[in-house]
Amino acid sequence: MRFFGSLRLQAAFLAALGIPFCAHPAQDQAEPPAITVRGDLAAKLVLSADDLAKMPHQKASVTEQDETPVEYEGVSLREILARAGAPVGKELRGKALASYILVKARDGYQVVFTLAELAPEFANETILVADKRDGKPLFGYQGPFRLVCPNDKAGARSVRMLQEIDFVRLQK
Amino acid sequence: MRRAAFAAISVPAFMAALSSLAAGPADSGETPYAWNLPKGFPQPYVPAGNPMTESKVELGRHLFYDKRLSVNGTQSCATCHRQELAFTDGRAVSLGATGQPHSRSAMSLVNVAYSGALTWSNPRMNRLEEQAAVPMFGEHPVELGLKKDDGWLASLRPDPTYQALFRRAYPEQENAVTRDNVLKAIACFERGIISARSPYDRYHYGGEDGAVSGAAKRGEILFFSQPLSCFRCHGGFNFSDATTSARDPGREIPFHNTGLYNVSGAFSYPIPNLGIYEYTKRAADVGKFKAPSLRNIALTAPYMHDGSIPSLEGVLDHYAVGGRTIPAGEYAGVGHDNPNKDPLIGGFRLSPQDRQDLIAFLECLTDRAVLNDPKFSDPWK
Repeated sequence: MRFFGSLRLQAAFLAALGIPFCAHPAQDQAEPPAITVRGDLAAKLVLSADDLAKMPHQKASVTEQDETPVEYEGVSLREILARAGAPVGKELRGKALASYILVKARDGYQVVFTLAELAPEFANETILVADKRDGKPLFGYQGPFRLVCPNDKAGARSVRMLQEIDFVRLQK
Repeated sequence: MRRAAFAAISVPAFMAALSSLAAGPADSGETPYAWNLPKGFPQPYVPAGNPMTESKVELGRHLFYDKRLSVNGTQSCATCHRQELAFTDGRAVSLGATGQPHSRSAMSLVNVAYSGALTWSNPRMNRLEEQAAVPMFGEHPVELGLKKDDGWLASLRPDPTYQALFRRAYPEQENAVTRDNVLKAIACFERGIISARSPYDRYHYGGEDGAVSGAAKRGEILFFSQPLSCFRCHGGFNFSDATTSARDPGREIPFHNTGLYNVSGAFSYPIPNLGIYEYTKRAADVGKFKAPSLRNIALTAPYMHDGSIPSLEGVLDHYAVGGRTIPAGEYAGVGHDNPNKDPLIGGFRLSPQDRQDLIAFLECLTDRAVLNDPKFSDPWK
């Protein structure tokens, strides 16, 4: 690190090496936890932990490495998108099918989902925004919110430390 | 609560094993081993030809700590695998009974039952029964230096302790003091060394919020974050992607070149430590080594396959710059540019606070119980 003079130079040098320069996921915890849904919507939706707790919850059982089942509880991602005003039901056709959501974590991790994956008329995937695991609030690197994709074989889409959902319409 | 339950189960089991050894009649040798695995830990794989029994584990413990298992009576398995150092030896590279240095650093035996690759760079070595023979009989380098004629077994046969232990461990066999049975018993003992009682386990699996510091909690989040991605190679309950269990014993184990070296010449890593290239002979495999478990990592310095980084701070420096630069000398080179480097080793920026937090997290993986558990201690003392 002795090579580096100013912060700007550090950033330039690290960027040249392809070294991530931002993302301090631990420090952001000072703000009250919330999920923001934004993008090509009439208005952004901010859900606090309390807001989420008041929404209808579902349960999903996932098998852990030790083969014991773990039960997550959370709100359907579909439900959150509907509340934010994203196209659902009969609205999800034509140009609306060229829409996606970008699920972002506090550490910069991102995963894309299409609306049709979640819609009951199409792939009908039940994906939860979980706030509890085995009846207890999610904590540490898992929480306070995470996606749970119970039908996935790998865990990489089950975004931990979920913070933001960006809705993008590719055709308007 | 779980810690107390663990002690309540394991201590009587241990006492029962001791009392049967001291005075009781020979047991059947088939008393199933009590793993007492906590939440989060899967059932380890055990080869069908060597089931775990309390008697074999106890025999294995005596053999593991017995200096008669070296050519000149100076070393035992425990010389390079010391309990107080999480079964490592604190040296950059180990020294054999005749003083010959090994080319690599002694690996920890903690949770070795879950290891799908037992050495730093041999993808084919995945059975403890087979691996134990390497330090015992190997000649390149000489470690324990035992002769392959099995003359060393003669020193064990008259010992009344061993007569009782072998009889209990292998009750069906007339002449149980054999090389094969020694290897099986040592493997059983090693498989039983499970570490699951660190502060991190109490916090993460036990939900005991006060078990770790705030710094360790912040460090955990950094460890599992995308910019650092430590968890990509050191993830799961055992903090290693070389982990297997009874569910997937044959899983292919990944090996990684982390940009530790980039020397000039035919190979980018210093001979003889060329990684799995030594076995595959593929140029792309030069410098690829196992990602070891990080459990008890604060106790196992110096680090890396050749012990070439003395401290955890140094390890963070290496990964933060995306591969170590050695400015001058025999091993000069920019590890960041090693052609075989794993793309995950891209580097990251750490503030001084981040650095302290990560170290605090790594330190909370230390399981003091495994370092002091009499089940794993020297029975000859």
